[in-house]
Amino acid sequence: MKKLLLGLSIATIATSSAFAETYHPECFVPAPGTSIIEKSAKEGPYKIAFVNGFAGNDWRIAAIQASKAWAARPENAANIEKFTVVSVGNDSSAQIAAIDNFIAAGYDAITFIAVNPTAFEPVIRRAERAGTVLVPFDNVLDSDKIVQINESQFALGKLKAQTVMDELGGTAKKILMVNGLPGNATDRDRRLGMMSVLEKVDGLDIVEVVGNWDTGTSQKVVADALATHGQFDAVVSQHGSAGTINALQAANHPIVPMGVDGENGVRMLMADLKIPGVSAAQAPAMSAVALEAAVSLLQGHSLPQTVYLPIPQVKSKNLQAGVNYFPDLPKSFNTGTGFPSCFKPFSPQELLGQSIDNT
Amino acid sequence: MGDIWRSNQREVIAVIVLAILLTLYFSTHPSGPTTYVMTIWANQCLILGLAAIAQFFAVIVRGIDLSVGAVMALTNCIASYLIIGTGLEVAGGILVVLAVGITCGLINGMLVVFGRIQPIVATLATGSLFLGIALLLRPTPGGSIDYDISDVMTLDIFGIPTTLIFALGIITFFWLPLRKTGLGTGLYAVGSSEQAAYQSGISVEKVRLASFALGGFFAALAGLFFSFVTTTGDAGIGPNFTLNSIAAVVLGGVLLRGGIGTLTGALAGAFILKTISSLMFFSGLPPLAQPLLEGLILAGAIAIGGADVLRVKNRLEVFGK
Repeated sequence: MKKLLLGLSIATIATSSAFAETYHPECFVPAPGTSIIEKSAKEGPYKIAFVNGFAGNDWRIAAIQASKAWAARPENAANIEKFTVVSVGNDSSAQIAAIDNFIAAGYDAITFIAVNPTAFEPVIRRAERAGTVLVPFDNVLDSDKIVQINESQFALGKLKAQTVMDELGGTAKKILMVNGLPGNATDRDRRLGMMSVLEKVDGLDIVEVVGNWDTGTSQKVVADALATHGQFDAVVSQHGSAGTINALQAANHPIVPMGVDGENGVRMLMADLKIPGVSAAQAPAMSAVALEAAVSLLQGHSLPQTVYLPIPQVKSKNLQAGVNYFPDLPKSFNTGTGFPSCFKPFSPQELLGQSIDNT
Repeated sequence: MGDIWRSNQREVIAVIVLAILLTLYFSTHPSGPTTYVMTIWANQCLILGLAAIAQFFAVIVRGIDLSVGAVMALTNCIASYLIIGTGLEVAGGILVVLAVGITCGLINGMLVVFGRIQPIVATLATGSLFLGIALLLRPTPGGSIDYDISDVMTLDIFGIPTTLIFALGIITFFWLPLRKTGLGTGLYAVGSSEQAAYQSGISVEKVRLASFALGGFFAALAGLFFSFVTTTGDAGIGPNFTLNSIAAVVLGGVLLRGGIGTLTGALAGAFILKTISSLMFFSGLPPLAQPLLEGLILAGAIAIGGADVLRVKNRLEVFGK
């Protein structure tokens, strides 16, 4: 009996420690309650493809550049026989066909930004059969069978709201919330994250406007909000924050704490105007983390099924020109150039040297 | 022989272009023409092919259908609710989906025939309507399709892609017989000259209605195959398919002014367009150059088809054909 108990307790220790011991846990942070995925190791070098959907905005282009910059680094290039990028447009059947084509061509791993969260169940089964590793990121799937890479949108919203409340010492009367595209799961989760903090503040009046993640729209709706509501104690914005700051400036609104996105132009304004708060965003460099995850899986390391990457963020007092924002680069440049706990962030030269073409 | 060439010239050109592109595609693909690669290719092509056939039935009677994509989205969303469960439920679901497609086509046809509204306006309006219903059914992508029926329809039989067999079946057992019936002749008569068709005793109204209903039926089939490939419902799939279906029929030698062209040509045109898209996976072409290349091929194919207008001595010959 004693032996049995001992055996049991050892077994429990073994499983619980296995839970803690996924590969590189400070980067591949497990989402709460997620499972662990492990595959048998495969000999390198590997053939890897990145199947992007839509390619027509700055974020996607930055993601393509980051994936190429990752593949160009010598430590990664040694593991890669071939790296291919394609963009297939907003058509889920075309994205499925592209993934199928790479499976058929004997690729070892495929990363992708899913056009549709529910359409990939059959192709996941075909990849499983062929021994191909699939790693979706950014727009992830409703699946628990493959490793998925993302930031927690809830945590991102919560971070911004928490930072401005900390700046205000925990009390505020009126706060402005600039939301994203309505009806979208990302917008919903970020908003819920912000509300999780703000709802607990006594007597706080929360004014919400819809900025559609767009600089122009944000500027207009914030100007309207200022005209009707007067002054706010703080502002939190999902994306397009440059428009929000411009509207505040145009209305001669005093400088208040803000939670804003990670565009270069936003950080430039934040530094120039000495706005207290935080700049944080969904970083396009997660395309490189997804590739890193794919290679780790191929090498036989175990990873959490859902990874919530540590959110890259800069408090305004830590803003430093040339380090986390770049006054000589375009305002639209995305400062989400890396995840410091995963690997050294890319320098702007590393990224901008990459073409956006298919290779 | 000369007659056969002259009456099928456009289709023959389309099929030759397709054969060249296909050879190019299989020779650039790292794994060559395996069953798996053929199946991926055929699945992609057939979805657009069916949409192009739907468009063909509108264009052949001198119309145009801007609701093809919307009917696909609607039937895809309905399929994601109904094509699941026991074999009987799945079969019933497929019938309902096809019936919805025919109904959509009939609504289009009635607006055109009895409402006397231009097809381009009527189908623009009904397209928004169908899309609206699809969005109500599936505000966000979701639902699921029975995996067994999806596998049967999208894999292969003895190494030949099921979708390819299906495409050949449509030509052999539907189009060729239809061409010999009164309706088949009526389609061309109405498309060539409504007045002449009417005076020859053809019921122009019935032919138009039947043509739009057939269009709805094939749009529903396209939606159904899209469902089999993606196994989910998504209201956002429409716009791509509407425009590409028009491009495909033109590429397949169907004249937008009606009366000339065949279903086989429309199907070949769709296969050409999708083969061009597939070519880029392993060709290393930049994605932003792809629409340009597609446009060039489109313009080239139309130019070849239209070149005979320049050669004839009497232009009336062309119109009399």
